[in-house]
This record gives sequence, structure tokens and C-alpha cells, in this order.
Amino acid sequence: MTGRYTLRSFPALALAALIGLTLPVAGETPLRTADDQPDLQGIWTSATVVPLERPVNLKGKEFYTEAEAAENTKRVLGISSWERLGSQAEVHYNMSQFGLDLSQEKIALSLRTSMITGPDGRIPPFTPEAQKRLAERAARNRGHQFDGPETRPLQERCIVFSTEGPPMLPAAYNSDLQIVQGRGYVAIVQEVIHSARIIRTDGSAHLPETIRQWLGDSRGHWEGDTLVVDTTNFTDRTAFRGSTASLHLVERFTRVDSETIRYEFTAEDPATWVRPWTAQLMLARIEGPILEFACHEGNLGLPHTLSGAREAEKAAEASKAVK
Amino acid sequence: MRAHHAFAAEFDVNRPIKLRGIVTKMDWINPHSWIYIDVKGKDGKTVNWMIEGGSPNVLVRLGFTKDALPAGSEIVVEGFQAKDGSNRGVGKSLAFADGRKLFLGGSAPGANGEPEK
Repeated sequence: MTGRYTLRSFPALALAALIGLTLPVAGETPLRTADDQPDLQGIWTSATVVPLERPVNLKGKEFYTEAEAAENTKRVLGISSWERLGSQAEVHYNMSQFGLDLSQEKIALSLRTSMITGPDGRIPPFTPEAQKRLAERAARNRGHQFDGPETRPLQERCIVFSTEGPPMLPAAYNSDLQIVQGRGYVAIVQEVIHSARIIRTDGSAHLPETIRQWLGDSRGHWEGDTLVVDTTNFTDRTAFRGSTASLHLVERFTRVDSETIRYEFTAEDPATWVRPWTAQLMLARIEGPILEFACHEGNLGLPHTLSGAREAEKAAEASKAVK
Repeated sequence: MRAHHAFAAEFDVNRPIKLRGIVTKMDWINPHSWIYIDVKGKDGKTVNWMIEGGSPNVLVRLGFTKDALPAGSEIVVEGFQAKDGSNRGVGKSLAFADGRKLFLGGSAPGANGEPEK
């Protein structure tokens, strides 16, 4: 899909071209940047009712009918965040008080029964090597989950959330991102929790293998109207869905209309899954702005969690002594 | 849904609290906001409690400003106390003394009116 500016105001357009900005023309939706590239810019939400993996009873059914999708959407939005919290619900604040329930957010509509595409709609099985690796890791961690900050999840430490990726997945709330394009790069900032990923589109090669980055190293190019992003050079710290530093991602961003981007990713790691797998989700335009998350500032959750764990240990010791 | 921290490790389901107090300040920070209230105990002494709430980002986008909960407001908090017995709790339900909700509705989905689609 291509769109062109109508030359309503030459001086304004020239200025826009000079500073590399898009200039919305009244009555038209600009879908290309001043550099004549597909325009992905804006503020988007990835909030959705579509699960990553297809419920097993829907195997083989990749899409709902419109009526089924409406019914399913209603059902999912009727599940409060509280119910979603499961066992933690009792001692958790009620999210809808703060506008954080999914029913209180804008979501992109989709007929998909799962983000993962294909007849199965589920993450492929782990390789034997991966099963062994993950079992060993779980055994090492057992009984040590509250030893100290380094044993807590990365998101509790405000380092990076698992949903930031890449690949990007919806966050529980504030599932917002901003895309900015310039000459030679596309940048994506995610509200949760603060990653700013720079995707080089200047044709340069990946970093050397010896250099590893928390978000990997992303290089993009255009195939028609689709931005194709290749990401390698991960560390073993983020371990997306149990994967390793050899994770290889290919993402595709396509602006399908003025209000929607189709985002797709293919994850491949022969050390983890028996075959690559692909997932698709729609990003819907929202008004923004993206607000700073800044969770390092005053994130008392981490010390409080550790303090609670120390109390639980004391209580366990005390009850043992009594016996 | 993945909680980004272990509330079950932090708060104690066996220590329910219901507090009435005067707001001294609110920290509009992430991942959780904090509401501080002065609570008068049975002994007449005033103790400052800190109550954990949700991310304030949506509230800000909806137009709630920092004046939405000014110091001096009287509020009622129902929740659970910290495991370590300190004057800290999670605010399951928050309301002004007159019964109005602090921010948005507290129980059902769609508490903010019609969800945007």
C-alpha cells in the first residue's frame, strides 16, 4: 500500500523534507516519510486479547469468524486482572483502580486464535539439549529464588522486562511503544520498561560475534513496504522463552493502514527449539504520549520482596525450633 | 499474567488491614505508586503507613494530576500488611472517607466506563 502527499503547501513540505519529518496533509493519511520510506512512526499499543499460544482445543483453527472473535473478545475482557493474577490476587492491589485492567485499554482487533501462526499455534518442543539445560538451571535455582537481587528476575530488578524483547510481546499494562524513523535507523522505545532499541537500516553488517548486547544487535532493510529486521548477538541473560545467546530473530513491520501495523517475528534457536516458530500481532495507534517508566526510582518491590523472604525464613526456623 | 514482583513474598494474607488516615504524600512512580498516610492508633499515637498501589501512567494519561490526591485528604485503605510487620501494606481497595473511589472503579472490569476498542 503506498500513499503520496498532495502538494498542498510546498514550503511546508520542503521544511519537512529538510528535517526528516512527516507532514500530515489535511484529509490524507501520510504513509511515507520524507525519505519516501513506509512510515511506521507513531505511538502504538500491542495490548490484545489474543494469547501467544493457541488453546489446545482449538488446534487446527487458526482464525475465528468475526462473530466468534467478538464473543471471545468479550469473554477475555470480562476476566478481571484480579482473576488473571491467580494465587497472587489476594495480596495484590486491584488493578482496575488505576486503569490497568485490559478492559480499560485500547486493543487492536484480530481474528487470530493465537499469535503463533500455523496449524498448531504453539511453541515447538524443546530440543533434548534445551530440556537438560533448563532442568539443570531449575535444579540449581530451587531454594535460592530469594537469596539476593541477582537471584530475582530481571524485571524485578528493573533491568529489562521479558516482554520488551526483542521479540516484542504485550506487557500486562502500559503496553505502549513509540517508533521513530530517520536516515539509516529506526528506533523503538517501549514504555515498559524503558528499552530504546536502535535498528540500523544503513546496510551495515552485524556486530562481531564476540560483542553481545542485552537487546541483541538489530539490522533492518525494506522489502517493499515491510521493514525486515534481523537480530543476533544476544547474551544468555535474557533467555527469551528458555533460549540461548544463539537466538536469531527476524521481525517484520508492515503498516497496513493509518491505524494499524502488523508485527510478526520468527524465532530460531537450534539449541532450544526443534524448529523455528512465527507469531503475529497487530499494533494499534494510540494517542500517547509514552510516559517515562523509570522503575529504578523508588522501586521498593525488590528490597521488600527480599525482606519478606527473610521473615518467612525466620518464621520457618522458629516453628522448627518449637517442634 | 506475570507479576513483575512477588507480592506473595512481600505481603501477608494473614495480616489484613483496614486503615483510615490522612494523606501526607503520594509518590507517582513506577512500577508501583506509594500513598503515605498518617494513621492514629488506639494509643493516640500517629503512625505513618506506606501503601503500595498501581502504576500511575494511565492515571496521568486520563488527566489525573498530582492534585488528585492532595495531602490532607482522608482516605480508607483495605489491604494486607507486609510480612515483616512494618507499617507497610498493599492497598487492595482505596476510597475517600466519604466513600468515593480514589481514582477509578475498583472491582469490575470496565470500571472506567466503556472500554475503547
